[in-house]
Amino acid sequence: MRITPSAAHRGEATAAQATKSLGHHSLTPYLFILPFLVFFVLFRFGPSLAGLGIAFTNWQAVRPPQFVGFANFQAMLRDPLFGAAFTNTIFFVAITVPALIIISLGLAIFLNRAIRGRSIGRLAVFMPYVVMSTVVGVVWTWILDKDFGLMNAYLNIFGIQDVPWLVSESTALFGIIITTVWWTVGYNVVLFLAGLQDIPGELYEAARIDGARAWAQFRFVTLPMLAPTTFLVVMLTVINSFQVFDQAYVMTGGGPGTSTLTLVQYIYTTSFQFQKFGYGSAIAMILFVLLVLVAFIQIRAYRQGYEGVE
Amino acid sequence: MSKRTSRIVWYAGLVFIVVLALAPLVWMLSTSLKPEREIISTGIRWIPESPTIEHFTEIFTKRPMTQWMFNSLFTATAATILVLVLDTLAGYAFARLRFRGRGVLFIIILSMLFVPIQITIIPLFILFTRLGLTDTYWALILPVGANVTGVFLMRQFFLSIPAELEEAARVDGASTLRILVSIILPLARPALTAVAILTFLFTWNSFLWPLIVTRSDSVRTLPVGIAQFLSLRPGMVQGQMSIGQSMAGAVAAALPPIIVFIVLQRYIIEGISRTGLKG
Repeated sequence: MRITPSAAHRGEATAAQATKSLGHHSLTPYLFILPFLVFFVLFRFGPSLAGLGIAFTNWQAVRPPQFVGFANFQAMLRDPLFGAAFTNTIFFVAITVPALIIISLGLAIFLNRAIRGRSIGRLAVFMPYVVMSTVVGVVWTWILDKDFGLMNAYLNIFGIQDVPWLVSESTALFGIIITTVWWTVGYNVVLFLAGLQDIPGELYEAARIDGARAWAQFRFVTLPMLAPTTFLVVMLTVINSFQVFDQAYVMTGGGPGTSTLTLVQYIYTTSFQFQKFGYGSAIAMILFVLLVLVAFIQIRAYRQGYEGVE
Repeated sequence: MSKRTSRIVWYAGLVFIVVLALAPLVWMLSTSLKPEREIISTGIRWIPESPTIEHFTEIFTKRPMTQWMFNSLFTATAATILVLVLDTLAGYAFARLRFRGRGVLFIIILSMLFVPIQITIIPLFILFTRLGLTDTYWALILPVGANVTGVFLMRQFFLSIPAELEEAARVDGASTLRILVSIILPLARPALTAVAILTFLFTWNSFLWPLIVTRSDSVRTLPVGIAQFLSLRPGMVQGQMSIGQSMAGAVAAALPPIIVFIVLQRYIIEGISRTGLKG
């Protein structure tokens, strides 16, 4: 959707004239907004505020909630399970995000060439993303099976011994990381391809005339022109990675031990298996703060990058 | 590198990528068609030696696969229709109608994009428990109505339509709703398609909330059924499924969206590029 400033401006101007003719006390706009607003307040805005409130209570299933101040947050500091969930999630994000960005950018550049057959490549790369997360989990549990899995069978061909993948504490998280990269890389490829197609071809032509080779073209044309897209893709990937749950739930359920316990998995178990709503909400708040923090850092870095260019 | 060799390298790369992307799905299909003793054998065999559909018949008779599928299909369709109605009205108001508090309200709505849904699920669960609506279709459909992205997408699209069209109709005395339905909506088909596809996919794939709020097979959605009964996770006793049956269930769940995707790929990809970038 391309919105030229002039079109948007025109829209605003005539909308203003239109409202004049309708009179200022018209109820119509409110009637248009109201249905959505009811849903929004009941199921999104209200629960968000309530979640913030519940984080400061000791609410266990049927007993009425008590205000406990920061007790839940203090308890987290002494909770080894929370520590494991926190570390695992950060580790997962730190590996998955760069992997997903680099691989998807590479694939997008590769598939952006005007050659016959590229549409098949795009279709194939995006295909895994269409499959629902829990099916992906089931299938990859089988592929990563220690004894009969496809992965180890191929690794054996290259002389690599059987990797225990999901049944060992040291490799289980990597199994989930590989699964996640395979599953979601196509989504980023689609976003990057859309960004690449917006770069005017003349820029590359000019760079070629100036004698820029492939790497220089990538470094000085593609990367800077793609910056807004990259910013967005990184943001979305970070947000999604912090919320990893479905695949891990199906493949390991947090185990073995606590080696694949993630923040969302821990929120789920605390709140819905142990009925500790207060503590669960407090962990959810930590997740929220992490997301806001990372978004803030990214926006700063992005702005500074731009000022550097100008 | 000559033009020809670079072409060959490119095609080799393409084949490599396609194989890597599709191999796990083909392996799933291949396993689902093998008898159990062939599954538990070392060595890689892509084409089943003695193919069988026994796992498929068992999975469909032993587990309510069709019921789960229906539940997913029904709730995703209902939620999509709900979102289209709500978001068209709200998006149009935010794009074209003037009212007090419009700017602030829009910012509050957008800011919710940053709040992870995990914060809302505990209050939502308590709310639906109080209403006595857990384990019903209502619990699966209603919360989708609060979808923020759709409002944003519809608003952006309406802003891009020249306002002269509506102006003429307004001079003729048409009501706002009339203008929206008969002039704007026919033009908004690309945006409506994008919002519809995204909402449908979101609801169809959604897992955490349905996992929490459903208990019985008459309401349970496909992702939850798969996770609870087909998981091959070590120590998962609930399922007791054989590998062949799990893969058959996975194929049955994966195939419909893959077919739909191949048919509608242009719209789906457009929808995603739009939300991601141009929105």
